Amino acid sequence: MTSEATLTAVRQSVVEALGVPADDVRPEATIFGDLAAESIDLLDILFRVERKLGVKIKAADLSEYVQGGIPDEQFGEEGGTVSAVGLAHLKTVMPQIDEAALAGKLQAERVITLFTVQNLADMVTARAGAGVR
Amino acid sequence: MLRIGVDLIEVARVERLLADHPGAGEEIFSERELAYANRSSRPAERLAGRFAVKEAVLKAFGTGLGQRMRWTEVEVINEPLGRPRVELHGEVARWAERRRVTAVEVSLSHAAGLAVAQAAVQLDG
Repeated sequence: MTSEATLTAVRQSVVEALGVPADDVRPEATIFGDLAAESIDLLDILFRVERKLGVKIKAADLSEYVQGGIPDEQFGEEGGTVSAVGLAHLKTVMPQIDEAALAGKLQAERVITLFTVQNLADMVTARAGAGVR
Repeated sequence: MLRIGVDLIEVARVERLLADHPGAGEEIFSERELAYANRSSRPAERLAGRFAVKEAVLKAFGTGLGQRMRWTEVEVINEPLGRPRVELHGEVARWAERRRVTAVEVSLSHAAGLAVAQAAVQLDG
């Protein structure tokens, strides 16, 4: 379970990296959708998280966390939509998603746009618990 | 099949990232890219161009920075007359091989504090 301190540090990192008002960085805000972060902003956020919490996460680690190490050909169907296996995993790391509504519709390359501030805080918590420092 | 990707980035954004986070340069750029940039009086401009190329290539692939991929695995090299080309390494190279990528062409430019890059990727099949 993500502590308030971890969530606060992640939210501060996002605010500082993106230069957006703190009120906009709600836990449920999607980082690449609602907050319009780009790749370079993600790098900035992750470096700030490392400095505040001592947890090192590389940009590719985020893709691996979201995809769960599932090979591309199992994660996505022919045509690029996320498979049932992929959606089942996504529900574990992004519990806010509506699996039924996304079934057969979610393009694999759009998955990352559903990733929220809370999801990032949960990832940081998981990595800290795994001793990734 | 031909796929394209494009990226536009503020030089100052790259400069700020590198200034704020020691170690960011080595995580994003190869030794050759850093050395090339540091030979210039405006290294941030060169690095921004290289970052834009990396993004443009990954957009053309349609992956973004996928599982196990590193920014340094799309490396921008300048040919003797200055034309940029990319070398793929590691997981990015393995992805390109699996998808039968036969050619990656890139172009980049800078002006008014911005760097822009375009990539065209040929997939066989």
